[in-house]
Amino acid sequence: MATEELTLLEVSGPVARLTLNRPGARNALSIPLLEALHARVDEIAQREEVKVVVLTGAGKAFCAGMDLKAVLSDPALPIRLLTLLADLTVKIRGLPAVVVGRVNGAAIGGGCGLACVCDLAVTHADSKMGFPEVDLGVCPAVVAPWLVRKIGAGRARRVLLEGGVMTGQRAFELGIVTHVVGSAEELDAAVDEVVRRLASGGAGALRATKRLLNDLDGSLDVAVVRKGAELSAAVLATAEAQATLRAKLGM
Amino acid sequence: MIRCTIEQGVGHLVLNRPEKRNALTPEMLAEFVRGLSRLSGECGAVVVRGEGEAFCAGFDLSLCREDSAALAELLCGLSDAVRAMRGVAAPVVVAAHGAAIAGGCALLGGGDVVVTDAGAKLGYPVVRLGISPSVSAPTLRLRTGDGAARERLLDPGLIDGRRAVEVGLADECVASPAGVRERAEGIARMLASKPRCGVAATKRWLNELDGLEGGEMLNQALGVSLSLVGSAEERERLAAMWSRDTKGKEA
Repeated sequence: MATEELTLLEVSGPVARLTLNRPGARNALSIPLLEALHARVDEIAQREEVKVVVLTGAGKAFCAGMDLKAVLSDPALPIRLLTLLADLTVKIRGLPAVVVGRVNGAAIGGGCGLACVCDLAVTHADSKMGFPEVDLGVCPAVVAPWLVRKIGAGRARRVLLEGGVMTGQRAFELGIVTHVVGSAEELDAAVDEVVRRLASGGAGALRATKRLLNDLDGSLDVAVVRKGAELSAAVLATAEAQATLRAKLGM
Repeated sequence: MIRCTIEQGVGHLVLNRPEKRNALTPEMLAEFVRGLSRLSGECGAVVVRGEGEAFCAGFDLSLCREDSAALAELLCGLSDAVRAMRGVAAPVVVAAHGAAIAGGCALLGGGDVVVTDAGAKLGYPVVRLGISPSVSAPTLRLRTGDGAARERLLDPGLIDGRRAVEVGLADECVASPAGVRERAEGIARMLASKPRCGVAATKRWLNELDGLEGGEMLNQALGVSLSLVGSAEERERLAAMWSRDTKGKEA
């Protein structure tokens, strides 16, 4: 599938909307999807008029995370995929525009990581979010730095070590998302409201503030997420992780 | 004074000096570290709890009445205990029921998950004794962020369990002290049921990300607490405390 189909990009005035468009696979992160996202984010970075980017998923899920079945079938795949994801997270954070996650449904593992990379994120109370990597015997090392920045080291420790998934309401209480609405039907109105408020800001002021926040928390440190990718791939390659994954995925 | 057992894959490290509200001695802290090292690799999670009415009332200051050497030993032992909790491969769940005061509260900083109860009293009321709680600063800041850590370390007041969860000092608060152990053990069993490779790698990575590995910051913090040991202020204030206690008992 071409870039144009795996992702959708609409720009309307100061607002760009970038959609992960693999609804049949719950927008799971494959190499082609990650490459398409890289291309789209590069494109958005060139559009000076864009003040706000909405990142969302087509269909019922926001993003189901890494395509684990694909990862198991090709030992060379994990490090490529994880490195692409790692670089994408920094690229999204580095966008001069403010990024708002429209977490329309499940945001799992790397998908929840993408939600954390957004400057703000909106979800509904019943969406499923979280990092179940440890349940599968693997390590959420690429997304860990983003969660630590988002909710602090103490809370991130519990979330990542306990694994599992949580409701959107709980994700809001922990600070993983900044806004929560009662139901999926209310999501668009809430996102529109946030986007409208953000877009009312001066472009220069928004950019300068975001740049400072990125400097303060080390967001643009590529080395740390790349190291996370290597670590994550190394754990995935262990016999214990492979056996656990195969058992859990019924392969 | 420390009990150390393994049941169904969960290690239990129990402060067992209930008649003194588990007040810490240098020997207890050394036993604590030895106990953790015995549990390391043998279990999938560790519960740290206290026998009796309270988790831990802090250092046994009666040991420091004549001279300050024991206080220095206690501070070093506490720092070693927190490092050992971070260093053990399995996640550590602290069951902080009733009270976690000063050195007892510091132990929370080594935990991956902390459970307390609504009526519990937590904090570091030691500046009024001329003692600096700096030894706890690095781990407390990770849990609460800088603002709440400043308040807790500088203000000798205590907070309750609910507030502790709000500021991030604890992760979860149950209604009664009796429920803390059950909840903590439940979390530990859940953690121990997960594949160990992913959990251990994730804990190691979180340790690396939080900037305390290598130990320089922990050493610096311990150094600040040690630098005040034996000061005229501390000697006078501790003596005044004993004199108040004696008068209280006579009256």
